[in-house]
Amino acid sequence: MSFIKKYIEQQTINRRNLLLLSAYGLGGLAASASFRPHFARAAVQNPKIAWSYRDRTNPYWNSIVSGGEAFVESLGLPKSDLLNLINGGSSEKSLADIKALLSRYGSGVALAADPNDMPNCRPVVEAVAGAGAYVSTIWNKTDDLHPWDFGDNYVSHMTWSDVGPSEQTARILIEAMGGKGGLVHLGGIASNNPAIERLQGLKNALKSYPNVELLAEQAADWDTQKANQVMSGFLTRYGDAIKGVHCASDTMAYGVIEALRAEGIENMPVVSYDGNPQAVGLVAQGKILATVFTNPYWGGGVTASLAYYAATGVFKPSKEPKEHREFYGPTVLVTTKDASTFKAKYIDSNPKYDWKDFWGLSKGQIQYRS
Amino acid sequence: MKHGLVMDNIRKWVPFLVLLVLVLFFTAVNPHFLSLRNFARIAVSSSPALMVAVGATFVILMGSIDLSMEGTVAVCAVVFAMLLNRLGGSLAHVGWAAIPGALLAGGVLGAVNGLIHVRLRIPSFMASLSMGFVGVGLSLLMTGGNRILIDDPLFRSLLTVRFMSFPLMAYAALGGLLVAWFIQDRTTIGRNFYAIGGGEELARASGLNVGRVRVIGFILAGIFFALGAILAVARLGIAETETGTGFMFLSITSVVVGGTGLAGGSGGVWNTLVGVLIVNVIGNGMVVVGLPDYLQDGVLGLLVISAVYLSMDRRSLSFAR
Repeated sequence: MSFIKKYIEQQTINRRNLLLLSAYGLGGLAASASFRPHFARAAVQNPKIAWSYRDRTNPYWNSIVSGGEAFVESLGLPKSDLLNLINGGSSEKSLADIKALLSRYGSGVALAADPNDMPNCRPVVEAVAGAGAYVSTIWNKTDDLHPWDFGDNYVSHMTWSDVGPSEQTARILIEAMGGKGGLVHLGGIASNNPAIERLQGLKNALKSYPNVELLAEQAADWDTQKANQVMSGFLTRYGDAIKGVHCASDTMAYGVIEALRAEGIENMPVVSYDGNPQAVGLVAQGKILATVFTNPYWGGGVTASLAYYAATGVFKPSKEPKEHREFYGPTVLVTTKDASTFKAKYIDSNPKYDWKDFWGLSKGQIQYRS
Repeated sequence: MKHGLVMDNIRKWVPFLVLLVLVLFFTAVNPHFLSLRNFARIAVSSSPALMVAVGATFVILMGSIDLSMEGTVAVCAVVFAMLLNRLGGSLAHVGWAAIPGALLAGGVLGAVNGLIHVRLRIPSFMASLSMGFVGVGLSLLMTGGNRILIDDPLFRSLLTVRFMSFPLMAYAALGGLLVAWFIQDRTTIGRNFYAIGGGEELARASGLNVGRVRVIGFILAGIFFALGAILAVARLGIAETETGTGFMFLSITSVVVGGTGLAGGSGGVWNTLVGVLIVNVIGNGMVVVGLPDYLQDGVLGLLVISAVYLSMDRRSLSFAR
């Protein structure tokens, strides 16, 4: 059995070497950090531009980052100069990456970020403000956290309100039903904010149509397969009473349309939300009557732009009114009439934006429900 | 011992009785449930799940477990859709080669899965779960997160064309089930699955190459996962990473609810058919009777526990693993 003994000995030595080497490496890191000159806290000439987000496999985030890259290119830099901080859906990683970035570049950072969840926004903003750098956020922020409480360093926050646009799609749906009959709603994950807002939009629209009945609303978790199954259940339960379908997302609408196709039902009015390329194509064909596009490409570009131009001193955030610090992003209703032109303009190519026109597409200051 | 035999015979039919009771219950609450049209809807949602669950049945019969279905289904769906679109977009021409292509992909993934389990001596639970993640990653890599659309009317006829009120995909799944039954009952390899599940040491002592049989079991499972993937694409006309989502819970639950023991050696593909129907009848029935959605997941869990409690003979288990 001597070879086993030898093997164990070797492994012990290896492990010891590994420990020694890693201790050496860590020591070196610490030493180099303490010798590095600290940046002066003033308007920065060439701040590092970074985007912190979930990951690029989702079409939505892919568009966000493409917008960020387009902004970087507008400065005459290669798009590889945009630093990607990918958190993979972890708030801890999001914060750790941002802190690492700040300890490397200090105040010379212009950061655009989705903090992944609402509570994570405060530590991110505090870390950035503490380093004297600049941050603009989207989507996730608690209601008690405001950019104007952090001077210039928390430049802006953008989010999207879905109630109004969802009400518009509902009206288009009900008009297509002839203003009467029953409809069903397939919603997102029950506790999800957009899911709540999109259902609220439908309910607002229903108030002006007394002859339309909301037969049922059910969460299908933004999922195509689940929506397919729920829709076939609805067909058994209500049969011909269903005259229209209101979906809270494009992905669920695909499942609904296939459930209808399986029954040979081709002309049921369906509306959806998100403005994904495939859905816009279906709108052009008339299989979906309307969807809503939130322009993630512009959102990704302008969020990076706000942080960058605040960092370089082109504008002073604290001099701006509140509706320029907290505002709603754009929502574009896509209907069968304009789907083809919309597709040519936004899906097949991206329009050239003036990234210094920060608030041109904004939909007003964020309103909080008390 | 006569009493025991009678009990065994009754227990065999318990899953089927559970299914009948469920159908009667949902019909009592909403008579619309008991209609040919609704059964066709249940058949559509059951067909892909049946193929995946049948694949898992072979592995579970051996006393192993395969949890790689979500990844394997995603990869096979994407391979199928990419091949079909690359080869002209229709099954009518060379596009039919996409079907064997997808089956091959499933078989290869199954073989890798089985070899990792047998050669590296990693428990099948861990090996297959990890391979599932690899598959999800692989399909993401192939699609870049995008969806692939299939619009071939011939392929979609699996969903849109009906024969005796049921869509063609229900018959395709039934055909797959018959093949699986043949493999299970009429081939040496099928009997070997039972031998290993019933007592691996005994099977080994009788000269059976257990490792080889296990790898073949995983390959078979992979091929049936691929069949499930093709039917899943036929159902929605979309192939993407998400295509595999949900199949793990659905198929493992179906196998166990149907009465195939996780310890191996008992049950079979007909049990799995009953299990798949139970799970899908519950899913459809809860929407049809209008159960609030926040209760549905909880009720599904409780119903599954009761179905397993009724259908498994736990006296033979010294300890439930």
